[in-house]
Amino acid sequence: MEKDIISRNYINRLGNGNEPMMFSHGYGCDQNMWRFITPAFEKDYDIILFDHVGSGNSDEQAYNVEKYNDLNGYADDIIEICEVLKLEKVTYVGHSVSSIIGILAAAKRPELFKKLILIGPSPCYINNDEYYGGFSKMDIDELIETLESNYLGWSSSITPVIAGTPGKPEFSEELHNSFCRMNPKIAKHFARVTFLGDNREDLSKVTVPALIIQSHPDIIAPVEVGKFVYKEMPKSSYTQLESPGHCPHLTEPEQTIRAMKSYLKKLKI
Amino acid sequence: MKTEDAIDLYENAPCGYLTMQSDGNIIKINSTLLNWLNFERSEIVNKKAFRDFLSMGDKIYLETHFMSLLQMQGDVTEISLELIGKGTIRIPTLINAKQIQQDFNKQPVYLISVLGITHRKMYEEELLIAQKKAEETTHRLKEMNKVLERFAYTASHDLQAPLNAISGMVHILEKKNVIQAGSEEELIFSKIASNAELMKMMIRDLLEYSKIDEKSSGFEAVSLNEACNLALEILDGEVQKNEAIINIPDLPEVMGVKIQFVRLFQNLFSNAIKYRSEKNPVITLSWEKKDDFHTIYVQDNGMGFEQVDESKIFGFMERLHSHDSIAGTGIGLSACKRIVEKHGGRIGVKSNPNKGSTFYFTISVIDESKHH
Repeated sequence: MEKDIISRNYINRLGNGNEPMMFSHGYGCDQNMWRFITPAFEKDYDIILFDHVGSGNSDEQAYNVEKYNDLNGYADDIIEICEVLKLEKVTYVGHSVSSIIGILAAAKRPELFKKLILIGPSPCYINNDEYYGGFSKMDIDELIETLESNYLGWSSSITPVIAGTPGKPEFSEELHNSFCRMNPKIAKHFARVTFLGDNREDLSKVTVPALIIQSHPDIIAPVEVGKFVYKEMPKSSYTQLESPGHCPHLTEPEQTIRAMKSYLKKLKI
Repeated sequence: MKTEDAIDLYENAPCGYLTMQSDGNIIKINSTLLNWLNFERSEIVNKKAFRDFLSMGDKIYLETHFMSLLQMQGDVTEISLELIGKGTIRIPTLINAKQIQQDFNKQPVYLISVLGITHRKMYEEELLIAQKKAEETTHRLKEMNKVLERFAYTASHDLQAPLNAISGMVHILEKKNVIQAGSEEELIFSKIASNAELMKMMIRDLLEYSKIDEKSSGFEAVSLNEACNLALEILDGEVQKNEAIINIPDLPEVMGVKIQFVRLFQNLFSNAIKYRSEKNPVITLSWEKKDDFHTIYVQDNGMGFEQVDESKIFGFMERLHSHDSIAGTGIGLSACKRIVEKHGGRIGVKSNPNKGSTFYFTISVIDESKHH
């Protein structure tokens, strides 16, 4: 069981501390995206990295369209990882869609989590009456088209890499965009699940303290959305970074680390 | 290279160039790209971000995938995006990008090269459509096959019951002595009985045939000797009755579905006995290995047939003989063909009238590197 979950989610553990800190990557990427952040926490934390099923080096065979038809499937995986690795009081760091996955997991099993750090959360991307999410349904259809045209060569040229041919230089070219790779069918399905979901009502169910890290400007999760999450979550704090784009942990890792550390320190006192 | 030449090469290169900061703000753009987009330099530099030239869908892809990749690995290649120019201008492009750290303390900048791919894009779209169509067709065919298999199975299964009733009734009439020996009625009733028997046989064979495609538990190592012996057990009565002699050497092991090999040998042996000559049947098996294939030969001393009829005898429900002369349905050998083909081999026969036939089939040698 433990082995199955470890390979299913390609779990990696590092760091010298005892307190568990779990990093959960966002849509379109994998655990590699935490590479500029984790060194700052290795000394004090037991760091757990993983790939969501269907992303990165996870076991693609485990991708079940029904299970992952909404974010609860991913939330159940997080809970399962905590159980199998016997983690408690986890500091959960989630980016983008994984913020919401963390929220769902924490609402179900609050005792497993100590605090949540949510980078660029959006509970609903589609504009809805009074609510501003930033996107329309049509925008998401466009995204699916973009995904299709970018995965055109997938089956023929990328497959050897997926099959695993380590140390063969002739594949180095294909290995180039090897981070964040995804089977096109899964990429499209995950895109729909991520961007067409509506989890606004789940925000208030969380009793675990949470920090929202909002970058500015961020077209994927705009400031309005970050503030909405802050308003809806009972024990939440809000920090806005002067970092453009949706991935402050890549664009401005120092600022992001500072925001995380100051929140974690404040909460200790 | 002189500075003017370098500037000229940058500005008028046959591809677009631009330089942006991590917030997307464009700080440099070449004339080629400006012409494509139909913008003035002053409208863009320090006024527009790269994402401003993208549709919403492309923007999401840019923010969730392109920028993360670029920041993680320092460059990104062959990303397909459609740039939106002034008015109705839309340019399908392939984008390569590179991160440049100009100064240690400063934010990096990103160099982007833009290749117009309008025509290639059209091919791509055609390919995508064709691919989708092919996927849909495959899916539909699979579904249809499933339905057909289920139909063949249930139809042949359900046909058995009324047929059993008919032959049962005829049997009762015979027992009750209502049919006078030598009368016209007796002839009619015997025709009913023999036709009912034929139909039973056909249904049994159809059922067997439809089972070949059933989801089996997958391939396993099969001893062909064991398959032969099981087939002979089933045929024991016929073997005894015809005083047939069967010579079987040590045969190889192959990968496949055991029950299907039993059926294969059962059909081949029973044919050799059924289409016997005046001599007692002698069936001799042999085999050879060539490259990656075993060839198994089943030789008989039966009545044989003209070689030109080879393709006919493997046809579904095709026969060389009438049912009245030698009973049969024409399904057995077509089932053999299907079984062999399902295992990646082929089946054939060499025959001479009055001199017997040699059926043969090929089956791949077990790949030792895969199976231990």
